Amino acid sequence: MRKKIETKRITMDAVLTATALVIFIIELQFPEIIPIPGIKLGLANVITLVAMFRLGPADTLAILLGRILLGGMFSGRIISVLYSLAGGLLCYGVTLLLRKTVSESQIWVCGVLGAIAHNVGQILTAVALTRTPELFGYFPILVVSGILTGAFTGGIAAFTVKKTKKLWE
Amino acid sequence: MIKTKTWIMIFAAMLLIFGAVSFWSFTRPSKGTVANIYVNGECVRSVDLSLVTESFEFTVETSAGTNVIQVEPGRIRVKEADCPDQVCVHAGWIADSANPVVCLPHRLVIRLEKNGKSADGPDAVSK
Repeated sequence: MRKKIETKRITMDAVLTATALVIFIIELQFPEIIPIPGIKLGLANVITLVAMFRLGPADTLAILLGRILLGGMFSGRIISVLYSLAGGLLCYGVTLLLRKTVSESQIWVCGVLGAIAHNVGQILTAVALTRTPELFGYFPILVVSGILTGAFTGGIAAFTVKKTKKLWE
Repeated sequence: MIKTKTWIMIFAAMLLIFGAVSFWSFTRPSKGTVANIYVNGECVRSVDLSLVTESFEFTVETSAGTNVIQVEPGRIRVKEADCPDQVCVHAGWIADSANPVVCLPHRLVIRLEKNGKSADGPDAVSK
């Protein structure tokens, strides 16, 4: 019996990593309409949120790291991995802390605060790499974009978690 | 458990506050007219935009790639770059903005400041 559960879990992790990776790569093809570094939808975070609320922290971390590392390799943007890691891990931390505080219909809140945390991580990395503290000037606009994009992706995650209830039993 | 209504109020307040601050951040003027171009935090070239009379271009090579920078009287931009996201190119011209133009993949930053920071000083006159 235990073995069956393990198999299902590994399969779920693999499927979600693959899904997140595809979403991530597709989003990279979107044109950069807003000329401000760091503004993007962050659709792959939908998978992180779904995994956090359905599979738990350990699986989510594996899926997140798998997606970031493979995403860097598949897109050829190795330099971006550092930014993704800083943003992704901070976002993961915030989502982990909030997991028990929010109800399932409030998952979008995790999306918002996670997106803000993600952008903070990216600014810190950018400031450290370019040694340009002036980049903090982009912080307020990245909070605004984090709230909007986070509510959007978080809403999708809440919907997905609700609609796929049977899948996880 | 915090109510959904409370969360919405918190985020709406944050949107207003940070929206106002970003507006201020994007419209505040730069401290000077010297464009300093930094790679990895080191100034590689300075151009005093107020002294530019004819437009010119130059290429900055970084270990990650190249950026073609175009200067016109009073303004500067990244014209071309071989970075994947092209954010620096889409940022367009800056003339008096305190917010820098950045190319994160190449760790290149263009900042408008009061004084030239490169070893040779501003070179708008010579080029």
